[in-house]
Parts: sequence; C-alpha cells; structure tokens
Amino acid sequence: MQEIIEKIALGVEKGKISKASPYPPEMAGEDGAEEIAAEALRNGIAPDSLMTGCMLGMERIGKDFEEELVFIPNLVLAAEAMNAVMKHLKPFLDSGQVKQKGTFVIGTVAGDLHDIGKNLVAMVIRGSGYKIVDLGVDVSTEKFLEAIKEHPGCFIGMSALLTTTMENMEKSVKAIKEASPETKVLIGGAPVSESFRARCGADFYSPIAQQAVTFLNENLP
Amino acid sequence: MSIPGLTIIGESINDSVPSTHALFEAHDIDAIVDLAGMQAEGGAAYIDVNIGRRAPAFIAEVVRKIQEHIDIPLSIDTPDPEIAAAGLEAYDPQRAGNQKPILNSISEARLEMFDLTAKQPFIPILLTTESVDASGEGVMNKTAEETYATARTMVSIARERMGHIPNEELILDPGIMPIGTDAEGHFKRLMNTMKLIHADEDLKGTQMSVGLSNFTVMLPSKTADGMFVRSTLESAFLTMAMPLGLRTIIGSVKRKYRILDNDHPALICLQEVLQLEGTAALVRVMRYYS
Repeated sequence: MQEIIEKIALGVEKGKISKASPYPPEMAGEDGAEEIAAEALRNGIAPDSLMTGCMLGMERIGKDFEEELVFIPNLVLAAEAMNAVMKHLKPFLDSGQVKQKGTFVIGTVAGDLHDIGKNLVAMVIRGSGYKIVDLGVDVSTEKFLEAIKEHPGCFIGMSALLTTTMENMEKSVKAIKEASPETKVLIGGAPVSESFRARCGADFYSPIAQQAVTFLNENLP
Repeated sequence: MSIPGLTIIGESINDSVPSTHALFEAHDIDAIVDLAGMQAEGGAAYIDVNIGRRAPAFIAEVVRKIQEHIDIPLSIDTPDPEIAAAGLEAYDPQRAGNQKPILNSISEARLEMFDLTAKQPFIPILLTTESVDASGEGVMNKTAEETYATARTMVSIARERMGHIPNEELILDPGIMPIGTDAEGHFKRLMNTMKLIHADEDLKGTQMSVGLSNFTVMLPSKTADGMFVRSTLESAFLTMAMPLGLRTIIGSVKRKYRILDNDHPALICLQEVLQLEGTAALVRVMRYYS
C-alpha cells in the first residue's frame, strides 16, 4: 500500500503522465501515473490510497514551486499526471466510495482570458481532496449562479488578472452574495487585495494558493 | 535603444506591479514621477499610466505631475471611461512635443470610449481578443480568424467614430498569452493573427502592440548556469514578430531586447513550439531553460 502511494506521488510530482510521455527524460520508458493507477486498481488496491498519493505528490511539487526550484510548466505537467489518476478514480468518486471533502467551483471572471492563476489554485485544491468544477475563463455571473444551484453547498473561487476585469469580479461577487448569502466566495489574482475583498464582500483573499485550502477546510458545511 | 524601429511603452507605472501599487497607496507622487523619468531615460517612447481602480482625480494628478518633469507622451491605461476621460483631459500635448497620448484600450464592448477623442485626440489601442455576440455580451475570440475579424471591425468603427483617423494612428492588440502554460496553442493563434493582419492591404500602416512581459510570466529569469531565460525568449518572440509588423510593445526598459541570430537556442525553441501541441509544447519550453 505504502509503495503504491509513493509511486503515485512520484509520478505526480515529476509530471510523468504516462509511459509514452517523454518527460521527465530520466523516467523515459517507465510507467507513468496512468499505468500505475490502472494496475493498482486491477490489483485491488483501495482507491483511497491513489487519492493520498496524488495529494502527496501535489504537496511536494507545490512546495518546490513556492521555493522556485521548479516553474509553472512543471506544475501544469504534475496536474496532468494527477488528472490521469483521477480519471481512474472517477467511478469511485461518483459512487461515493472515495469521498471528497467538498466541491470547489472556480472560474476566471467575465472578460478575462487569463487562466494560470485559476488553474494553479484549482490544482492545489484538487490535490487537497476537493472536487473541482472548473468553469473556465470569461465566466459570467449567470454561470456562477447556475453552478451554485447545481452543486449545493459548494465554494466559489474567482480569478482576475487584469485591473480592467476586477470590476466584473466585484459585480459577480455582489450578485452571488445577494442570491446566495451563505455561499463562501474566495477571490484571487495579481491586482486583487484584502481591501478590494472587503469592498466587494467576498469571504476570502490570499496571494498564496495553499492558504485557500486552509480556509476551505475550516469552512466545510 | 534596444532594437531600431521598436517602440517601447514603459510598463512600470501600473497598479498590478506590487512596488508601484505601494507607491500609489502611499500617494508618493514624487516616486511615480521618478519612475517615469527612469523609463524615459531608459529609452521608452511612451509612459504607460495605469492607476487601477482609483478615483479619476488621481490619474489627473499623476498625469499633470509626470508632465511637469517628462517631455515624452503618455499612454492612459484603463478600461474605465471616467478614469480615461480624466487622464486625457489632464494631458497637455504641448508638454510632449505636440504628440497625442495613447489610450489603452478600447474593446468592442466599450465603444463609447472613442467619443473621448472630443476631449483630447488620442491614438487608440484596439483590443482584438474579444468581441460582442448578438445579445451584446462580450465573448473571447478563440481562433486567429475570429481575432482578425474583430481587428477589421474595430478599425472600421474607429474610422467612423474618430473622423477618418489614418491607419498609422491606430494600434491593434492581438493578445499575447504566457508561453509557460500554453498547452492550448495560444502562441500559434497569436502568430497567425499577426500574419492575417499584416497581409491585409486595408490595414496597411496600422501598428500592432503586445504586453511582452506577459509572454514569459512565471518562468525563471536565469538558468542555474546564468543564461537569461525570460529576456532571450522575449527577444526570440520579437525576432519572429517584427517581420509580421509588430512595432510596439508594452515592456521594460531594463530588458535588453535584441534581434537574435537564426541559430539562437531561444529562437529555435519558439519555432519548434509552433509545431507542437499540448503538453509537448510546454516540455519544449522547459527543455530550453533546464
């Protein structure tokens, strides 16, 4: 069991998606996250431990990223490797055999195409055991509101990278808080600040993705 | 001057730059003026002024104070028509050798900003990455063809609304995205958009501009053995984009932009990225700096 968790964690951390992926070069020809996950499930390993492996791998790469030992492309590859594992876990997540802590709906606000920050936060939160509903970029207020109806008790995360689109963020936050006051809204992005958060009425802001996880864990319904 | 024929709009006076944000918060106008002076001396042709979401009166004050000390034109950078109006009204062309300011930027969803030309004639940056759908909602363009179509629409609206402004006084922003996370082919789209704009006789003479620092955001500045990563990739981009008509960037005067030789590894990297898809493109970028 411990061995499988470590193998999955290593695959995720290194961004080794599948056997065929050329990256990283030193793991060429070895099984990737895809194959390790498939084989583990075939051998009757508890799906929970695959989830634990993902969380461990994401935690490690996240730490290296914060210390600037690796850069953004590594995180994207790690997330792809995690996604390869999650694909195999999907039936167990759908059936409820593997439990996720909660649902985090995330999107970049209307008029904004930037998705680095959003994807990074989604990766970290997914890697911490939450279900992610990614609405993509340029997300209208209506789409956020529909998602709240569809996923009762979810958290909402919003990203904006432009000072030009913070206006849309403020509008969306206010509309959500009016329609669904109990929904917790987290915001982030380069131009966002604590004073902006207070003004628009969102529940949480941080420049560091990992701190959003702490907030979520403390505010589970 | 780094590259002959390349116009740099100095990027530093922007609320999303943390050190500048702190100066705005402290209302340290003298330091903002110094920042403008440093960029003017460093070779900027324009100074970008983005005050974020502050009061219109604040941009008026910043514009006046900068113009007391600096004689190059400014680029008023805001989506807010009131901030844009205040910045343009405060601007004095005589203090900038009778040169018009730039207004960055107008999108199809904010056409009323063209009317500010009555207060102060300006050179608009026209956003081509978003358009409006039949219901008037803004939508992001997904292909080079869509982006190019918006460029054509925006130019024809600018001509209508700004009294037959010549092409030379229009700047198109084809939209640049970070290469470090580009597994979706944004870079390919950008290059194809520029090709389409450049080949269009009706758009001949229009300028193109991109926010170049955004291209390499979140990549390392240098490799472990000291090779510059961000500046060489940005230079490689310019080497590929200038033949397609790119003449203006919003960028840093501290960066040593240059045209690279054909066999420069950064140039080879970007050329190969254009041929790759998905995560393979990212892996190629990583190979450049690893």
